[in-house]
Amino acid sequence: MKGARRRLGLSVVVLLLAAAAFPLYWTVRSSLVSEASLFQHPSLLPSPLTLEHYRALFQVRRFWLPIRNSLVVAGATTLLSVTLGSVCAYALARLRFRGRALLLSFLLAVAMFPQISIVSPLYLLLREVGLIDSYPGLVMPYLTFAMPLTVWLLVGYFRQLPPDLEEAAYVDGAGRFRTFWEIILPLSLPGLATTAILTFLYSWNEFLFALSFTVGPERQTVPVAIALFRGRYQVPWGEILAGVVVATLPVALLVVMFQRGIVSGLTAGAVKG
Amino acid sequence: MKPARHPLTILLSLGLTFVGCVFEDEGVTRVTISGSAVGAEADILRRQLEAFQEEHPDVRVEIRPTPDAADQRHQLYVQWLVARSPDPDILQLDVIWTAEFAAAGWILPLSSFDPPTDAFFDATIRANLWQDALYAVPWFVDVGMLYWRSDLLDSPPSSYGALLETARTRSERIPHGFVWQGARYEGLVVTFLEHLRAFGGRVLEPDGRVRVDSEEAVRALTFMRDAIYAHGAVPEAALTWQEEQTRLDFQSGRALFMRNWPYAYPLMQDSSASEVAGRFDVAPLPAGPGAEGASALGGAQLAVNAHSDEPAAAWRVVAFLTGPEQMLERARGAGQYPARRDLYDRPELADALPVDPERARSIIEAAVPRPVTPVYTQLSSILQIALHRVLTRQREPAPALREAADEMRALLERVELRPGASAERSDDAVPRASESDAARADAPAAIADPPAATTDAPAATTDPPAATTDAPAPTTDPPAPTAPVSPSPAAPGGGGRMGV
Amino acid sequence: MSDGGGTASRSAKLRRRERRTAWAMVLPAVGVVALVALFPLAWTAWESMHLHDLRMPWRGRPFVGLANYVELFSDSRFREAVGHTAFFVAVTVPLELGLGLVLALGLDQIRRGRGLARVLVLLPWAVPTAVAALVWRFMFEGEGGVANQLLLGVGLLGDPLVWFADSVMAWVPVLLADVWKMTPFVTLLLLAGLQNIPQALYEAARMDGAGGWQRFREITLPLLRPALLVTLLFRTLDALRVFDLVYVLTGGGPGTATEPLSLFAFDALLQGLRFGYGSAISMTVFLIAFLFALAYVRFLGHADLMERG
Repeated sequence: MKGARRRLGLSVVVLLLAAAAFPLYWTVRSSLVSEASLFQHPSLLPSPLTLEHYRALFQVRRFWLPIRNSLVVAGATTLLSVTLGSVCAYALARLRFRGRALLLSFLLAVAMFPQISIVSPLYLLLREVGLIDSYPGLVMPYLTFAMPLTVWLLVGYFRQLPPDLEEAAYVDGAGRFRTFWEIILPLSLPGLATTAILTFLYSWNEFLFALSFTVGPERQTVPVAIALFRGRYQVPWGEILAGVVVATLPVALLVVMFQRGIVSGLTAGAVKG
Repeated sequence: MKPARHPLTILLSLGLTFVGCVFEDEGVTRVTISGSAVGAEADILRRQLEAFQEEHPDVRVEIRPTPDAADQRHQLYVQWLVARSPDPDILQLDVIWTAEFAAAGWILPLSSFDPPTDAFFDATIRANLWQDALYAVPWFVDVGMLYWRSDLLDSPPSSYGALLETARTRSERIPHGFVWQGARYEGLVVTFLEHLRAFGGRVLEPDGRVRVDSEEAVRALTFMRDAIYAHGAVPEAALTWQEEQTRLDFQSGRALFMRNWPYAYPLMQDSSASEVAGRFDVAPLPAGPGAEGASALGGAQLAVNAHSDEPAAAWRVVAFLTGPEQMLERARGAGQYPARRDLYDRPELADALPVDPERARSIIEAAVPRPVTPVYTQLSSILQIALHRVLTRQREPAPALREAADEMRALLERVELRPGASAERSDDAVPRASESDAARADAPAAIADPPAATTDAPAATTDPPAATTDAPAPTTDPPAPTAPVSPSPAAPGGGGRMGV
Repeated sequence: MSDGGGTASRSAKLRRRERRTAWAMVLPAVGVVALVALFPLAWTAWESMHLHDLRMPWRGRPFVGLANYVELFSDSRFREAVGHTAFFVAVTVPLELGLGLVLALGLDQIRRGRGLARVLVLLPWAVPTAVAALVWRFMFEGEGGVANQLLLGVGLLGDPLVWFADSVMAWVPVLLADVWKMTPFVTLLLLAGLQNIPQALYEAARMDGAGGWQRFREITLPLLRPALLVTLLFRTLDALRVFDLVYVLTGGGPGTATEPLSLFAFDALLQGLRFGYGSAISMTVFLIAFLFALAYVRFLGHADLMERG
C-alpha cells in the first residue's frame, strides 16, 4: 500500500520532470537537423546531424555580438549591484535604525513592480542624454531590479552568519564599516557568489528594457537578438534554435555548477523573506 | 573566485569598446546605409557600394543590417530616429513611411540637391513629397502580382470569382488554392487593399474621409474570409504568413496561386531550391465585381537622416544608387522594378524582368498608392487588427470595419489632420474659406499633403493647423497627370478608380 | 550586544553614531534605486497627464489632465487587455501552484537522484523567458510542428491546427510556456517550505494513527501556508506584468486576442510613440499590481512577509 503510493508519487515526479526536459531536448535536437527536415518526420533521434545552423549563427548572424553585449551588461550590472548592495544589505541586516523595515519593503516592492511602468520616462531620459543604444543605457535600468534583488538576497545571507565574530571585532573598537569590510565580507564569499550568479541570471534574461533601449545589433542583448531573428526571409528556425541553445548554455552551466547555492539563495530570499 | 574576475574583465572591455567607438579615418568620409543583411538583396547592395567606392574613394559606405520584415524595420528606424542617432546616414524607406518621417523632422528635404524628379514614376514621387518638398528618392518599385501554375492551368484567372472557382475545384494533390500574406502586419493591409480595390472600395475618400466601413469593403473582406473557411481556397495558416512563407509554400508546389511582390520571381526560377521552376508565371492581379484589378504600390526609397553628420556624402550615395545604371543592375540582380519610367524602354530591362517591360510599366502606373499621411502607421495598425480579427473569425466584417473606421476617424481628428478640425482652428490672419471650399482645399491637405507648417523644422512652428486651411492645396494638387490612371488621393480627378 | 557598562548618554551617543553609519551604508544603494526606479515612476505619472506624441513634435507637450485616462477607459482594446491579463493570471498562477506543490511533495520524498532532479527543475527557470517563448513557438509552429504531430499521432486531432490563427488556441502555447517556465520556481520555494517542517511532527501524527491525507491536511498545508502565500504573491505580481512571453510567442495576436496590458502599453509607447497615452497605460498596470500587493500583504498579515524586517 505504502510502496504503491510511493511508486505512484515517484512516477508522477518522473513524468513531470520528463515534461520539463522535453522542450529543451527538442530544441537541441532540432538545432542539429537540416532546415528542410525541421518540420518533417519528427523523430526523437534524427540523423544525419549537422552543425550548419551553428556555423551560420556565428558567421552570418555575428552572434558573438549579442553575447558580448549580454556579458558586458549583465556583468556590469552584477558588479555594481553587489558592490553597493552588499554594504546596504549589511546595514539592513545587522544595524539597528528606524526605517529599516520600511526600506526593506520598499526594495522588495521595487523588485516586484511592473517594469513597463517606467519604460517611458527612462526612454525619454536616455534619449535626452544620448544613451539610447549604449551599455550605460542598459545597466542603469537594469539596476532597478538587480539592486533590490541583490540587497534582498544578501540581507538573508548576512542574517545567517553567526554574530559572535563581528561583535568581537566591534568591541575591539573596529567601526561598523571596518567590521563589515574585514570580517564579514571575506566570510561571505559563498553568499556573494550566489547572489552575483542570481543577479547575473536575471540580467542575462531581461527582455523588455533591452528591447526598448537598444536599436541595433551593436548593443542588442542575446534574448532580444534571437527574438528579432524572424525576418522577411523565411523564419530561420534552424538558426533561431541554435541561438536558443547558445543563449541557454551559459545559464545552464551556471545552474548545474551552482545548483545548491542557487536554490538556497532563491528560497532564502523568498520564503524566509 | 570566479564571478569576481568576470566583472573586472568586463569593465575593461567596456572601456575599450567606448574608446573603439570614436576612432576616425583621416580624409575618408564614412557613411552608413541601412539595408538587408541576407540574401540576394544584400549581395547586390554590397556589389553596388563597391562600385560606388571605386568611383568615390573618399567615401566609405557601410551597411547597417536591418530586419527584412517591414514592420520590424520600421520599428527599428523609429527607435533610431527618435533617439536622434546620426547613424545610419541613409535610410531605405518603405513607400508609406516618407510622410511620417518627414513630418516628424527625421529625414532631410532633398530639394537642395536638385533630384531629377521628372524621370520617375509620378506616383512614386508623390509618395515621397511632403509639403512640396521631396524627402526621399524612389529606388525600386514593388507591385503585387498574381503568381500562377502555368503547368496546371492554361491561363491566369481574370477575376477574383474565377480565381476562387479554380482554387476551390483544384486537384487534391495541391493542398492550397490561393496563398497571400495574412499575418497581422502591413502585408495584410496590402492584401486587403488589393481585394478592396477590385471590389470598388477604398479606405479613404479623395477628400480624406474614412470610407473603410463601406458596403464594398464589407464585401471584399467577407470574400477574403469565406475564401478561407467556406471554400477552403486559402489555407488558414496564411493568417500567420508573411511574404516568405507564401513563397515557400508556392515554390514547394503546394499552392495553385500566390499573391506576392516581384522579388519572388527570380528566387523561384532557381531550380535548385524551387520545385516549380519553369512551371509558373505571373499575371496582373484579377479584377473584382466592382473594378479592374490593381496592385498596391510598394517599393523602396532612399532618404537621408536629418541628424546625419555627412548629408552631402550621403546624398552622393543616394544619387548613385538611384541612377539609371544601378537601377538596371538591381533589376538584373534582384528582379526589382526600376522606379525610373524611361528605363522601361531600354532593351536591357526586357532581359532582366520576367514581365514585358511595357506591361510592367502599365501595371505600375495603374497601381494603387497607399495614403500619404504622417499617421499612416497608426491607421494601418488599426486596420490590421480589425482585418485579422475578422479573418480569424473573432468578429463579423461589418461591425469590425465600422469600429476600425470610427477609430481611424478619431485618430485623424486627434492629430488635427481632419478638414473640420483644422478649419476650426484657423486663425484670424487666414481668411476662412467657405464651407465647400474649405472641404475641397483641406482634404488633400489633411491626408495627401499634410499641414504646411510642418514642412520646415516642426519645432519652429507652434500653430501648424492654421496654415493647412488652404495653403498647400493650389500648389500640390496638380490635375490628374497624363498617366492612364492617377490613383493618388492627392488628385481627386482619379474618381471611382481610386482605391485608397 | 553587550552593554559594556556605559552610561545612558553614552549608549544614546552610540546609537546615534550607529544610525548615521547605517544610513551612510544604506544610502548609495537605496539612492540608486530611488533614482532609477522611484523618480521615473513619478515621471510616468506626470507624463501620463500630457499629450506627448513623439511622432508629431509640432504638437508640443501640453498638459491634458486626466484626458489620457478618460480615453483609456473608453478604449475597448484596453478593456480587452485587462481581461487577457486577468485570464492569464487566473490560469497560470493556480496551475503553477498546483503542479509545483505536487512536484515539491514528490521531490521531498525521493532520496536518490536529487541533484539531477534539481537541475532538471532549475533548467526551465533559468532559460531566458524570450528564449523559452521561441522554443514553444517552434513546437507549435506550422503543420509539421511537434505539437501538431504529437496530437495527430495519438488521434486527438484529425487535421493539424493553426494554433496562432485561432483566438482561443493561441492561448495554449502561451499558458503552457509560462507553466513550464515558472513551475520550477514555485517548486523550489515550496520544497524549501516543506523542508522547514520538522519531521518529528509527522512522526507524532503517525503514532496518533493519522493517515497520509490527514497528515497532509493537518500538518503540511498549515505549516506550508506562509511559503504558499509568498509564492502566490510573487507569481501573481510576476504574471500581472507578463510581456516577453506574449511578445515573442503571439505578438498579442491573432487580432489582439492574446494581448496583455504590458504589451498594449509597449505598443502605444514604442510603436505608436504616444508617450502620454502609453504612460497612462503603464501607470494603470502599476496601480493594478500595487493594489494586488497591498491586498496580499494585508491578507497575509505583515508578519509572514516581513518577519525579518
